[in-house]
Amino acid sequence: MSGHLIDLHYYVESVLSFLLGFGRDQLHGIGTASPAPLGGPLYGLGDLLGAEWLLVLLTWLLVVTVMVMWGTAVNLLVMMWIERKFYSRLHDRVGIKIGLPSMGFLATIPLLGGLFKNFVKRPSHLGTGFLQNVADGVKLVQKENLTPKSADAFTFHVAPVLIATSSLLVFAAIPFSEGFAVMRQVDLAGNSTNPLGILFILAAFGLAPIGILIAGWSSNNKYTLIGGMRSAAMLMSYEIPIILCIIAVVILTGSLDPFEIVRQQTVSLGEAVPALSLLPPTSSAPLYIPNWFIFPQIIGFIVFFVAILAEQERIPFDLPEAEAELVEGWLTEYSGMRFGLVFGFKWLRALAGSSLLVILYLGGWTGPAIGTGLSIGQVGVFFPPQELWFMLKVYGVFLVWVWISWTFPRIRIDQILHIGWKKLIPLSLVTILLAIAMRGLGVYA
Amino acid sequence: MVDVDLVLFLVLSSVEVGAAYLVIASRRLVHSVFWLFVTLITIGGIYILLRSEFVGLIQLVVYAGAVPVLFLFGIMLTRRKIMEEPHEAK
Repeated sequence: MSGHLIDLHYYVESVLSFLLGFGRDQLHGIGTASPAPLGGPLYGLGDLLGAEWLLVLLTWLLVVTVMVMWGTAVNLLVMMWIERKFYSRLHDRVGIKIGLPSMGFLATIPLLGGLFKNFVKRPSHLGTGFLQNVADGVKLVQKENLTPKSADAFTFHVAPVLIATSSLLVFAAIPFSEGFAVMRQVDLAGNSTNPLGILFILAAFGLAPIGILIAGWSSNNKYTLIGGMRSAAMLMSYEIPIILCIIAVVILTGSLDPFEIVRQQTVSLGEAVPALSLLPPTSSAPLYIPNWFIFPQIIGFIVFFVAILAEQERIPFDLPEAEAELVEGWLTEYSGMRFGLVFGFKWLRALAGSSLLVILYLGGWTGPAIGTGLSIGQVGVFFPPQELWFMLKVYGVFLVWVWISWTFPRIRIDQILHIGWKKLIPLSLVTILLAIAMRGLGVYA
Repeated sequence: MVDVDLVLFLVLSSVEVGAAYLVIASRRLVHSVFWLFVTLITIGGIYILLRSEFVGLIQLVVYAGAVPVLFLFGIMLTRRKIMEEPHEAK
């Protein structure tokens, strides 16, 4: 068992209540010391800072902000970096190298400059390449936002917002550990719950196709229109196997709660499947295999894996933006940071999709950990913490996706429909049948 | 003290009524579909405000997620001149 390191609401609320309480005390002090016409309002302002509703409101705003920054500013960059470095290695080259050593100005910092004195000549071959994506982002911000003359300006400007917000909305419900989540309640037993979390993730996932379709239409360009239609058709049709696979897992667990789904994956496989205990014991110490749902739901795992791969418009399924046929598909006409929004959304969806995959099938944030004896709040600190396990699994899944997408060629439009409607959907129905059989026959307790 | 539920309800319902008006008032069909999308999302928000989260989320999955796309496909596949339409409408 392992414990979580980050308790998002608790941390934010502690810091905020300290700051607000400090401000209130200061204002109260100034208010009582000030002369009559000024003192009363200042004292009242102090009361406002100490109000409970302000603390609750600011806590929620900050929690959401932290989660959005964690999704975009940290994980978006990390995933782009992983992808670019890894496919460069697959191409037998080193790949991007812009990193700290490329920043020659670091050597001119007065006191710490000595640490970076090798950076003066900008030896860019020493860098890891992490700052390349930051540089690309800065470049995109500097570029002009062009609106094509014949484009439908209103929907052209609304569509990227729609796409980006619906992708960020997913992170409201995705927990990164038992404490690191926006939507989270603690029940009487001290467990985290979010009774409709999986449904919320599905709802937020399903809002993107209309944004893409509107983006493709409003650019008033035949490539974007074709790309938008292809993308919406693909996203809609591959959402069905995703939902069906999730239904199978929900039937097995009896819950739409991501925390509960992960919790049920921590028991050992021998406990979960009573028939396994009837087998003769092979050794004195039973091997602990966690009850990850990849074992009873291996077909569902494969279907979900492929369908989520298609949901991100990754290369075997990148028909909506097939460069050779459609320039860049539905995002051809976008420029500047608006292009960055609609281009980066793929990695956000990749992060959300691999998090969902890990939660549903790979045991979420559970993993072996050693207690350190320390504790923050009432929660013991373990090493490695749950967040580390979760991110390791998420990046591992993402690496396999990158591997697949830079190995296989693009499939045709008829093959997309063939795979989606004739293979994945029947297979996902089979997984539902299997799940019902396991529950109904008591194979799976 | 401000009634937060009432404020949220007023904001959501006014957006909803305005968007519902724009559905029928827009001259371009794709704009109508966009405003229909906004209407359906705000209806989901009102469900969540009424403490029936499950119905609200199902509203988002089924109606906001799928129905406008269906309408858009219907428009785009049945109208031959979807690209030229904005210019004719002016």
